Amino acid sequence: MTEAALLPLAVAVPLLGAALLALAGRILPRTGCDILATGCAGAEVVCLVLLWTHSGGRLATADLGGWPARLGIVLAADPIGAGLALLVAVLVLAVVVYAWRYFDEPTGEHAGAFPALILLFEAGMAGFALTGDLFNAFVFFELMGAAAYALTGYHIEDPRPLHGALTFGIVTSFAAYCSLLGIGLLYARTGELNLARLGGQLAAHHTDVLTVAAFVLIATALLVKAAAVPFHFWLPDAHAVAPTPVCMLMSGAMVELGVYGIARVYWTVFSGPGGIPHQAFRTTFTALGLLTALLGALMCWQQRHLKRLLAFSTVSHVGLFLVSVALLTSDGVVGTAVYVAAHGLVKAALFALSGVLLDRFGSVDEHGLHGRGRELRTVGVLFLAGALALAGLPPFGTGLGKALGEDAAGHWQPWLPAVFVAASAVTGAAVLRAALRIFWGAGPVPRNRPGEEETTGEGEEPEIRSPRRTLPPTMTVVPAALLALAALVGALPDVAAALARGAAVFTDPAGYTAAVLTQPDAPPGPVPAADWTATGVLLGLLSAGIAVALAGTAVHREIPARRSRHPAARAVRALRRQHSGHLGDYLAWLALGVAVVCVAIAVQI
Amino acid sequence: MTARARLAVFLAAAAVIAAFFTAACTDLPPFGTDSHPYGERAVAAALDRRTANVVSAVNFDIRAFDTLGEESILFGTVLGATLLLRRARDERHRRAEADRVMPTTRLFGALLLPVTLVVGVYIVAHGQLSPGGGFQGGVVLATALHLAYVAADYRALKKLRPLAVLDVADSLAAASYSLIGLAGMIAGGAFLKNVLPLGTFNTVTSGGTVPVLNAAVGVEVACGLIALLAHFLDQAVELTDPDQQRYGDT
Repeated sequence: MTEAALLPLAVAVPLLGAALLALAGRILPRTGCDILATGCAGAEVVCLVLLWTHSGGRLATADLGGWPARLGIVLAADPIGAGLALLVAVLVLAVVVYAWRYFDEPTGEHAGAFPALILLFEAGMAGFALTGDLFNAFVFFELMGAAAYALTGYHIEDPRPLHGALTFGIVTSFAAYCSLLGIGLLYARTGELNLARLGGQLAAHHTDVLTVAAFVLIATALLVKAAAVPFHFWLPDAHAVAPTPVCMLMSGAMVELGVYGIARVYWTVFSGPGGIPHQAFRTTFTALGLLTALLGALMCWQQRHLKRLLAFSTVSHVGLFLVSVALLTSDGVVGTAVYVAAHGLVKAALFALSGVLLDRFGSVDEHGLHGRGRELRTVGVLFLAGALALAGLPPFGTGLGKALGEDAAGHWQPWLPAVFVAASAVTGAAVLRAALRIFWGAGPVPRNRPGEEETTGEGEEPEIRSPRRTLPPTMTVVPAALLALAALVGALPDVAAALARGAAVFTDPAGYTAAVLTQPDAPPGPVPAADWTATGVLLGLLSAGIAVALAGTAVHREIPARRSRHPAARAVRALRRQHSGHLGDYLAWLALGVAVVCVAIAVQI
Repeated sequence: MTARARLAVFLAAAAVIAAFFTAACTDLPPFGTDSHPYGERAVAAALDRRTANVVSAVNFDIRAFDTLGEESILFGTVLGATLLLRRARDERHRRAEADRVMPTTRLFGALLLPVTLVVGVYIVAHGQLSPGGGFQGGVVLATALHLAYVAADYRALKKLRPLAVLDVADSLAAASYSLIGLAGMIAGGAFLKNVLPLGTFNTVTSGGTVPVLNAAVGVEVACGLIALLAHFLDQAVELTDPDQQRYGDT
C-alpha cells in the first residue's frame, strides 16, 4: 500500500473500530468484544509498522480529498511522527490485552463502550502525531481530550475519579481555548493553516507581539498536555484516579505528544524568519524543562501513593524531554525520540504492575503494603527492572535516550547532564524504594504521621470484583513484554539509527516544506549519531547506582515521627500544599505560566 | 492558596495576557480590505465542485477530514456520557410519573413537533445550498423530539424515542463517514475525495459527496444528541440515590 493510503488509514482504522465496538457490544459477549478490540488494535499496529518501514526515513505525505496544502489538509509523517504513532498503537494493543481479564467493564447494552473509547483515544493521538495542519492538530487534540476525560472518570461509584476527570477536563479545555485564540491570530495574519505554508507566510512579516502572543497561546495547550511546571497540576490528580489501563496510555504516550506538538509547531512554523528567535525558544523552554524535571523529581520522591509517584516521575521525565527538544539540534531530537519511546514502554509497564497490586490488595499505598507483596516475586522482579530502567540503566532504551540527550545538552551547557542524572536517579530511586518496601519488606515499617497532608493510596476500589481468582497471566506477561521492548529500543542499533534519520528530517523545515508542497525532495541535513558511547554507559550506570544508593538509604532510615522544622522540610511542605486539588488554584497557576512565558519570550526578541 | 491569593495571582496574570492579546490584535490586518487569501481560494474551489454553500464545501469537501475528527468528538462524547452516567450500583430505577400539562401547551407541542421535524430534515438536506447542514439540522431534529417532553411528559418522550435504534444509528452514521472516506480512496486515490457526480449547480443533488456526508452527520448529531440528553434526563427523572430518597428530596 502507498503512503497516501496508509496515513489516513492510521486514523480511520481506530475510528471504524470504535464504531464497530459500540455496535457489537450490544450483541457480543465480553470475550467477543475483547477479540474485536484486540483485532482493531493489532490492525493499527500493522498499519503503522508498514508506514514506518515504507517511509524509509523520508517525510511521507497524503493530500486528503486530493486537495493540495494551500486548500486542504495534508497528513505528513516523518519517522519521528510515525514512530510516536507506532508507540501509541503498541501501547493501545498492550492495554487492550492487559484489560482482557482484568477490568470490570459495563455489561449489557454498553459492553463495548470502554474499548471503543480507548480506540477513539488512539485515533486522536495518531491523528495528532501524523497531521501537518495546525487546526487539524487542534481537532485531534480535542478528540484525545474528550475520550481521556471520560476514561479518567470511569469509576463512577467513587467521587474522586469524577473530581480528577473534571479538573483534567476543565484545565485542558481552558488551555485549548487559548490555543484556538492563537491559531486565530496566525490565521488572521497569514490566511493559512498548513504548518509548512504558515512558516513560509510568516517570513513576510517581522517578529512582533502578534507572533509572540500566537506562539505562546498555541503552546499553552501543548504545555498543559505535556504537564510542564506550572501547567502540570492536573496530571497527578488524573493519574491517581484513572483506571490503570488509562494511566498506561496517558503517561506512556499522551503527555509526550504535548512535547512533540511544541517541537513540531516550533520547527515548521516559528523557526524561520518572522518567527520566534532560536535563542529565545532555547532559553525559555530549557528553563521550563529544568524546573519541570527538578520539581517533578522532588515531588516524586515525596509520594507514597504509587500512582501519584509514577505520575510525578512522568512530570520529571517530561522536563528532560523539554530540555533536549529546546536545544534545537538534531542530536537533541534523536535523544528525546529514543527516550520517549523507551520511557513510554517502561512507564506503561510500571503502571500495569501497580495494577496488579490494586487487584490483589485494593491499595497502592507504599507504606500500607509494606512486605505484603512478598509472594508476588515475578511482579516484584519486573517492578525492580522497571525502576532501574527508569533510572537509565543500560541497555534499556531509556539509558540510550538519556545518554544521547546528555551528550547533546552537554555541548551547549556542560552542567546540563547533571540534571539528567539527578532527575532520572531520583525518580528511579523513588520507584525502587517502593519496590523494596512492598515486595521485599525491606527496612522498618514506616509509621503514619497524623496531621500530615498527603494522599495515602489506601481504600482504592479494586478494578474487578471477583475475589479469590488467580492472577490472570496477561497482567504479568504484558508488562514483561513492554520492558523487553524497552530493552530492545536500546539494544537494537537499527531503531535508534532510524530515529536519527527521522531527527535529521524533523529539524529541517525547508525539507518539510518541500515535501508537503510536493516539490522535489531535498536531501535532509547530516544524520546525528545515535550509538552508545562509553560516557553514556557510564552516566547510565551512575544514575542507576545513585538510585540504588538513595533507595537503600531511604528504606533503612527510620522516618521521624514528628514534622521536621528544618527550613527545607517546610519548603517541601509548602510546595506539596500547592498541589491542593483545587481547580481555581490550578487555573491561577496556568494563567501565571502563560503570562510568564509571554513576558520571557517578549523580552528576548 | 487562599481565595484572596488565588484571585490576586489570576488577575495579575490575566492582566498581562490581556495586554499581550490586545497588542497582538492591533497588529492584525485591518478590516474591510480586498485581501482574503483563503476565502478567494476556497470560493473558487467550491464553485469548481458546484457547491453553492462555500462553508459546507470547506467543512465537508476541502477540509472534510477536520469534520471527521469533529463528528468523532461528538461520538466519543456520547460514548463517554453513556459510560459516566451508567447506573451505579447504589442507584435505584424509578418509573417516571405522568404529568399534567396545560391543554394549550399540549396543542403547541402537537403542532410544532412535525413542523420542527420537517425543518430539521430540510436544513440537513440543503446544507450544500444554503446556511445549515448536518450539525445544525441534527440539533433541530433532536430538539423536535424533546417538544414531546415539554408538551406531554417523560413517558411520551420515551415512547417516541427508541433508544436502542438511535444508539445503533449513531454508531452506523459515525462509521459511515470514515467508510465514505475509504470509498473515495478506493475510487479516487485520496481519502475523502469527492468522487460522486457533481450534479447541476444550486440544486439539491449538487456537490457530490457533500450532501451524503451532511446526511451522515445529520443522523449522527440527531441520534447522538437524543441519546446524550436521554442519559442526563434518565439520571434526573428516573434514577434515585437511596440516601436522597430517605430524606425525600427527589
